[in-house]
Amino acid sequence: MSYGVYIHIPFCKKKCQYCDFPSWEGKEDLMSAYTQAIVKEIEAQEPFLAKAGPASSVFIGGGTPTVIPITQLERIIDAVRENIPLDPEAEFTVEANPGTVTLEHMTALYTMGVTRLSIGAQTFENDILERIGRIHTAQDIKDAVRWARAAGFTNVSMDLMYGLPGQTMKNLVDSIGSAMDLAVTHISVYGLQVEDGTPLKAKIEAGEITLPTDEETEAMYDYVVNNLPPYGFARYEISNFARDGFESRHNLGYWSDKPYIGFGAAAHSYWGGRRTENLRTPEEYIASIERGESPARPEEPSTPEIQMAEFCFLELRTVRGIDREQFEKRFGCTVESVYQKVIDDLKLKELLTSDEKYIRLTPKGMKLGNVAFRAFLL
Amino acid sequence: MQTKNIRNFSIIAHIDHGKSTLADRLIENTGTLSQREMEAQVLDSMDLERERGITIKAQTVRLNYKAKNGETYELNLIDTPGHVDFTYEVSRSLAACEGALLVVDATQGVEAQTLANVYMALEHDLEIIPVINKVDLPSADPEKVKKEIEDVIGLDASDAILASAKTGIGIEDILEAIVERIPAPHGDDDKPLKALIFDSYFDAYKGVIAHVRLMDGKMKKGTKLKMMATGKVFDVTEVGCFRPAPVEVSELASGDVGYVAGSLKNVRDVRVGDTITTEENPTPEPLPGYRGVTPMVYCGLYPVDSADYDSLKDALEKLQLNDAALVFEAETSLALGFGFRCGFLGLLHMDVIQERLEREYKLKLITTAPSVIYHVHKTDGTMIAIDNPAKLPTPQEIDFMEEPFVKATVIVPNDYVGAVMQVSQDKRGEYKSMDYLDVNRVMLTYHIPLSEIIYDYFDILKSTTRGYASLDYELADYQPAKLVKLDILLNGEPVDALSTIVFADHAAYRGRQLAAKLKEIIPKQMFEIPIQAAVGSKIIARENVRAFRKDVLAKCYGGDISRKRKLLEKQKEGKKRMKAVGSVEIPQEAFMAVLKIH
Repeated sequence: MSYGVYIHIPFCKKKCQYCDFPSWEGKEDLMSAYTQAIVKEIEAQEPFLAKAGPASSVFIGGGTPTVIPITQLERIIDAVRENIPLDPEAEFTVEANPGTVTLEHMTALYTMGVTRLSIGAQTFENDILERIGRIHTAQDIKDAVRWARAAGFTNVSMDLMYGLPGQTMKNLVDSIGSAMDLAVTHISVYGLQVEDGTPLKAKIEAGEITLPTDEETEAMYDYVVNNLPPYGFARYEISNFARDGFESRHNLGYWSDKPYIGFGAAAHSYWGGRRTENLRTPEEYIASIERGESPARPEEPSTPEIQMAEFCFLELRTVRGIDREQFEKRFGCTVESVYQKVIDDLKLKELLTSDEKYIRLTPKGMKLGNVAFRAFLL
Repeated sequence: MQTKNIRNFSIIAHIDHGKSTLADRLIENTGTLSQREMEAQVLDSMDLERERGITIKAQTVRLNYKAKNGETYELNLIDTPGHVDFTYEVSRSLAACEGALLVVDATQGVEAQTLANVYMALEHDLEIIPVINKVDLPSADPEKVKKEIEDVIGLDASDAILASAKTGIGIEDILEAIVERIPAPHGDDDKPLKALIFDSYFDAYKGVIAHVRLMDGKMKKGTKLKMMATGKVFDVTEVGCFRPAPVEVSELASGDVGYVAGSLKNVRDVRVGDTITTEENPTPEPLPGYRGVTPMVYCGLYPVDSADYDSLKDALEKLQLNDAALVFEAETSLALGFGFRCGFLGLLHMDVIQERLEREYKLKLITTAPSVIYHVHKTDGTMIAIDNPAKLPTPQEIDFMEEPFVKATVIVPNDYVGAVMQVSQDKRGEYKSMDYLDVNRVMLTYHIPLSEIIYDYFDILKSTTRGYASLDYELADYQPAKLVKLDILLNGEPVDALSTIVFADHAAYRGRQLAAKLKEIIPKQMFEIPIQAAVGSKIIARENVRAFRKDVLAKCYGGDISRKRKLLEKQKEGKKRMKAVGSVEIPQEAFMAVLKIH
């Protein structure tokens, strides 16, 4: 059985304006205790994972993993290597944010067996970067990618965003051009989402910041979807594009019902059909590990209906779509026996198409993904 | 308790003049509840009341007070609402009392609403004790307020009590005045039972509970009682009083205020204003009861999910039990399906009922725009009353129409007289009179269409007078008016639930504003939706809701799938709150959009 490993580093130098995820700035004094706790949590799972067999991917994300001292990151990676059996071909990703990395950093990560870097670029426009609260400049992005290559990385992914405050179509075209110039191998492109409780939302409501119109944002989406493939980046998931063979194995795991185990504050696990979530704040997390307790809390009990809905909307995110055979194997019934009406309706709306093996979104369906996903919620 | 030691009283006050705080202080001072048990504003027991800082339902509480003369008195406080919509509640409460505290804010003076309630108390022959509240505030001017009470209301204010409910000043004096100045009820325990039902509510365990004021006779567990109007006979299972939670007592005697519960399962058996007597030895004459209340505003209430129709009906029946002013009957809308046409006293009343249905009965509702009752005189010489614009006959059948007008009384500082005149004129008001209450404050009266008051008259009045204006109104008469039906078409199809009746000269403007507002409210859907406003076959405004063509979520951070699912569920839930009319999904607030335009 293959599975993924996720490790969460909930620290940032500065929290971005749009971010509502479990990450905190100004908690540097917790980093060392946090590292110790993660190591302890990983060690505690050693007997269990030894039986589970090798993991096919490891992903250290955040927050900003590269904001903790490199020696601490080394301790975590060592703990992974010593306690979790890894497939020889395992993909090992670390998120690296420009402005927090150096060539030495990159070299150390490469030496420790990290195979893939994910660079949080978002855009190459300095004024927009500043507006959304990023700490880096376009030059920092370029440096980070160059240093990654110099350190030996051949698999470099980049996150970009569209629909950012003040962003124009030209800005987006330029950013994609810059990413191409840097010869990355994988690109994730996300539309900005304005989440409740974020400074961004407050500023928009106060009229201090305006976003591109829906029409402009839609044009940006279209540009991304239409223009990355000609550069050799095939779309394999709604927001993800890769050169052949560089698809993210770890993320594909999330979308294809593979189990994963998470370590660290607010990390999620999915094992044996059950979902759990670790205590959210680093303080709570550290305290529970120090007391010798498990930081994991079960999420609300899942029903077959919920499991089917999650299975479907996750697989629908991929270009391949819902695997009929896998669905039957998992739930003991055909997709149609549960979703015939939904499928017919979505086909009528030209959002869905299917063949003998798969049920997938049309290009229009990808653009209106939420409409289709909602329909699969029973 | 001997009748001579009972005092039944109400508190009359304008909204925000401190009535609920004063009630709390009286409860606290008499030791009815300990400090620890006090929650701010004990009497406003509905969440809604606390949140909005208003009293909606009259509540009752019995206070035991040991007076300076050494005797112990039973003081029954019957709380009253202060908002213009709930005037009828005040009238019910006053009928159960012998006296009232008139609370006036020492920094504000007499307001329009105070006047209306004082006159009502005087009609009931109540002893009125003026209380000037908030005297602790730096801007308090008790002497000026005293003079106002004398000049405007015509009450002797020489022995008005200066108080601060907040700090406790004057509370003893008020309690003493209640004992000394308000007469004891003059009932006779030995006469046949005669009790007024002034309120009622439904308890899931005990059935219908009636709030009663005993005029003559006694009432205790085990007796067989009879409702004189409905004829219902029932066995008493419990009598009690309010402290302020219901507490069982062995009997209620003449002069007492309390509650009675019995084998009363059907909400229709108990009618507020009815007289209760004993079956064995009934009183020959029932009490006069109440003047019926007439709803002034009507709207449609529809369940978003048509399966909830019966639950909605059930909930309305339960609410009607202690809200005589709420009326409803079944109606059908082409757009919304099966629902109810409901009548209310005003917009706040409507709002409150809608919110209670949603909160207490967990119903998801669509409320259509409120309408007054129009008198439509048809060409065949008959007249019909229309409370739903969709039911308006065709223009060919209409000879002329009349709409209800009110006498509106506005009190403002004289700096704002111009603003009031302007607003009232814009809203088709006809100037009637202007009186100076003192050198600074002016009382204006206007003859104005009720429909304008319902829309936004008071809102605009408040904003143009920086919140200083206070308003009271009473139905005056019906007057002919040039009225037309404004229809809304979505995707080319008229939506009956969005129709309104408007003043002809305002139709074009209202139509444009409404179409623009609907464009804001109706979310983009997968296809373009034309919005048209029409009078008859003439299209007077057009807007377009553009199609959305993109709706995707960003990544799953750290494998948090549940978060993603919950977000989708929330979106789906939001959709459920919308009503599908043809292929268009319309959010609840669209049906009230007409109120959001000025």
